[in-house]
Amino acid sequence: MADETTTTTEISGDDGALPGRPPFAPWDRRDLPGSFDVAETARRVGNYKWTEMKLFEALGGWVATVPELDIKMRLGTHCYHHAWHAELWHKRLPELREMKPERLTVPANDAMAEFITAMTEPEDAHLTIEKLVGVYRVLIPRFVAAYTYHMNNTSEITDAPTIRSLKFALQDEFDDWRDGELMLQSLITTPDHVARAAAHQSKLEAIMVRAGGITGPGSIG
Amino acid sequence: MRQFFPVEDLARDDRFVQTNMAKRLADTRSAVDVKKSKSKSRSASNRLTPERHDASDAARSLMHGIMVGEIQALEGAGRTAHDFEAGDGSGDTIPFELKLDMARQAWDEARHVEISAKLSDWMGTEIGQFQENTVLFEAACSNDPVLRLAGVNRALEGLAIDVFTQMKEFGQLAGDPFLEFCEDWMLADEVTHVKMGSDWLRKVTEKDPERRKKALEFQQVVDKLFSFGGARGESDESPIGLARRFRELAGFTDDEVDTISQMDHDALEERKAAVRLAQEAAGV
Ligand SMILES: [Fe+2]
Ligand SMILES: [Fe+2]
Repeated sequence: MADETTTTTEISGDDGALPGRPPFAPWDRRDLPGSFDVAETARRVGNYKWTEMKLFEALGGWVATVPELDIKMRLGTHCYHHAWHAELWHKRLPELREMKPERLTVPANDAMAEFITAMTEPEDAHLTIEKLVGVYRVLIPRFVAAYTYHMNNTSEITDAPTIRSLKFALQDEFDDWRDGELMLQSLITTPDHVARAAAHQSKLEAIMVRAGGITGPGSIG
Repeated sequence: MRQFFPVEDLARDDRFVQTNMAKRLADTRSAVDVKKSKSKSRSASNRLTPERHDASDAARSLMHGIMVGEIQALEGAGRTAHDFEAGDGSGDTIPFELKLDMARQAWDEARHVEISAKLSDWMGTEIGQFQENTVLFEAACSNDPVLRLAGVNRALEGLAIDVFTQMKEFGQLAGDPFLEFCEDWMLADEVTHVKMGSDWLRKVTEKDPERRKKALEFQQVVDKLFSFGGARGESDESPIGLARRFRELAGFTDDEVDTISQMDHDALEERKAAVRLAQEAAGV
């Protein structure tokens, strides 16, 4: 018995033409409306690209400053993940009618730029905890939230290319977040370490809240 | 974090001991024993092969050298991704795509550290058993990114092509498929990195012949440093061969490879002359 979820290839009619199928299969429930128009999507993508760039630059720069060999290698590996995300967003911008991608490669606001300055400040070899806290307990959770918020609010049909990139990027963010948390838990072994990690996190989180997140106030992330 | 990071501040744990080029080469466990004389038997091979009486120490020393070199290559690529703003390549900027390539190289070098740390362990070497010569990172400290491409990507990673080719052959001759397999993979990455250096050097200096000239001169200085004592060269008297075919794949012209080969040859002759003089003075 044919129901909504089955189709037929039987030939109908005298001319041998196949019967018509609906443009959306019964299992395809994607929706047309989305919260962001082209200009707003480009603005957000520009903020993503700027922040991913600042993140991969910071990770690359920090490699030489951390003495822990395993962490050195992880930072080098993650550096590339975020460079690749920046590349995805760089290539998406002209598709969103921004022919000069640098124009939109900017922080959401001054507070976001201030956040990156504060996050990248630690340099000394004894500050690995602070370096990792900024990336893995503040910025990357924000990326996870911002990318998820975008993915769940954008049009599943008109903005499918952005969704595809968001999914790839999110996979890396989740994996790197877990790596970062493992590294931090292996380093935070005394009450003093706990206090250092918490103090740095709350300092950075306060700036991030002022910024309203990676894309500024009005959404999550 | 500072825009540029000096070699003296490279962060290491307490196992590492850093030194300079001359002291590192003077280590008698080295694959390149500068005190060794081959002047009397011109046909004798000094290639790093399992037949050499000191093959075990020499290969382990070289592998440790590769590992610390990979750490510095990782650090250098990371710094170049960090130190320069994205721009049109003039002044203190580098093209965005070059930054991406440097980030990619950082990932590749991180894998090379992983590979060489496992290989060192496999060969029975402990981290810090040999001293670390920081010359690679020094070449990655230039304020001109084009000089970094010339000194690191072309000269030093070009040397890595030669070394990995030699180590791959060593693994083959020693019946060590593990070593041969790993060197084969690292060789593929290094050819990619040298090619990056060749392509970007050409592109960034397209309209600035003076800057290109300066960069190629710097490359020669670094190349010469590693021709020291004829350590690398086409003669069998050099422990490390010159991997012509892979260098060509990586964007070196025939003329460029010939120049390096000549430099290696001159360095070897210089060393032999110095050994002869020392022997005469000692009445040997
Ligand atoms: Fe490498
Ligand atoms: Fe390399």
